[in-house]
Amino acid sequence: MSLGYVIKEGFSGFSRTRLASLTSVTALVIAVLLVGVMGRLGYNAYQVVNALKQSVDIEVFLLDVDEQRTGRIETDLLDFPVVNNVTYISKEDAVAIFREEFGTEAGALAELDFLPASFTLEIRPDAGIDEIREMIGQIREFQGVEDVVFNQQLLETLEDRLEVLVIAGIGIGLFILLTAVILVFNTIRLTIYAKRNIIRTMKLVGATNGFIRRPFLFEGLLQGLLAGAIAIGLHFVLFQWAIPYYLPQFGVLAWPLDEWYYLTGAMALLSLIMGIWGSRWAAKKFISQTSIG
Amino acid sequence: MSAQPVISFKGVSVKYEDRQILKDVNFSMNNGEFVYLIGSTGSGKSSFLKLVYRDILPDEGSVHVAGINVTTLKENRIPELRRSLGIVFQDFQLLPDRNIQENVAFALQVTGKKRKFIKDRVIELLSMVGLSHRRYHMPEDLSGGEQQRVVIARALANEPRLMLADEPTGNLDPEAAASIMELFRQINNRGMAVLMVTHNYDMVHRFPYRTVKIQNQTITEAGHQSDLVSM
Repeated sequence: MSLGYVIKEGFSGFSRTRLASLTSVTALVIAVLLVGVMGRLGYNAYQVVNALKQSVDIEVFLLDVDEQRTGRIETDLLDFPVVNNVTYISKEDAVAIFREEFGTEAGALAELDFLPASFTLEIRPDAGIDEIREMIGQIREFQGVEDVVFNQQLLETLEDRLEVLVIAGIGIGLFILLTAVILVFNTIRLTIYAKRNIIRTMKLVGATNGFIRRPFLFEGLLQGLLAGAIAIGLHFVLFQWAIPYYLPQFGVLAWPLDEWYYLTGAMALLSLIMGIWGSRWAAKKFISQTSIG
Repeated sequence: MSAQPVISFKGVSVKYEDRQILKDVNFSMNNGEFVYLIGSTGSGKSSFLKLVYRDILPDEGSVHVAGINVTTLKENRIPELRRSLGIVFQDFQLLPDRNIQENVAFALQVTGKKRKFIKDRVIELLSMVGLSHRRYHMPEDLSGGEQQRVVIARALANEPRLMLADEPTGNLDPEAAASIMELFRQINNRGMAVLMVTHNYDMVHRFPYRTVKIQNQTITEAGHQSDLVSM
């Protein structure tokens, strides 16, 4: 079978059943656009939560230990996979910070030399609360460590929120995709049903199921391409123009992974896969069921 | 004319929703033979044809068509069987959005023939059925008889060994019906086997060939036109 035949039949099939094709494309546009919106909002929400997580410092207060021990503790702290960075705050630095924060009220308290040296740990954004808890337990056992302080409640709340966000995002995303695939399947099935006479005739003259199916797959590909392009266009309009214009406090939300092409590429690919897959599914089922007599 | 069977049924039984359609049917038809298949409505004539072009499978027995064991034929080889058959139905089954030439060419396109070959073959086929001058017309512009001629041209496209015709004159006036029968006669004279389901006993009398009848779920030889008086 020539590629020319598949392309010609695919295009003419697209235009012969315009209403059904339009329904399929609309279903695909809605699904892909919603997934794109979810992806962009979800990414930004994830970034915000991670940024908050990063701002939760863990402070490791030291006993009066020598320089060598301090260096050893620093090395051990950096060895933890969840630790991104470690900042050492000497007793003198602690006094300076104390003075800076409390000003003249610090007064004689600052002279009492009660402020210990410490390390401030910056944790990795993807670190889980359990990993952090385990690490803190281990740090507390370090020789020369007096105490470890961190905002456990804030971290737990953020962790919970993030978990809900991820589960809800995946759940909603899957639901949208499933609904869209069923919708696409049904609309394409209607398109194919409208062509049952052609299918019957094709079978009558000895066309293979693959031969009959290929133009429908090409049609699905066309629908996917068109729907993908429209969905990406709408996504640009929504995020680059409508949201910054009507909700200026949000501005232009960041693209996932900071590049526009990852999300738009994923949307185009998703649209193509759904278009082709929906067509294939419907065509395979319907063609094999069509009787010629 | 070769005496090899183009169709062979051995002990074929078919049931449809608990209703016995055919029971222990034995039938043989030779290459180049013309056979009428007659019987009352619902007697199983269409099921008989469906067994031949493998739209259904028998519950028991075996069916051989053009040297192919249809009963054990795998799904992906059905197109191969159908390319060795020319099938003509009462409802013409032409593609309404293609002209006559494209309708006939379609049967050659699906078998992957080259464009030049298709072009020449289509002209040859349309000339054979007397419609080459109307090749750019749409099906709706043609009379019933002409549409049936296009279907016959399409059925002949891949040079089948056997033509199956299910009531090919059922929708036609007597004059058009006679011209279609004449066309089948010419096709048969070229050596192609023809199995025709018909209720048109007038045509059976005018173009006498071997006639078989399906009755009481089985098939019997009905001989020639003189035997059909009581049918």
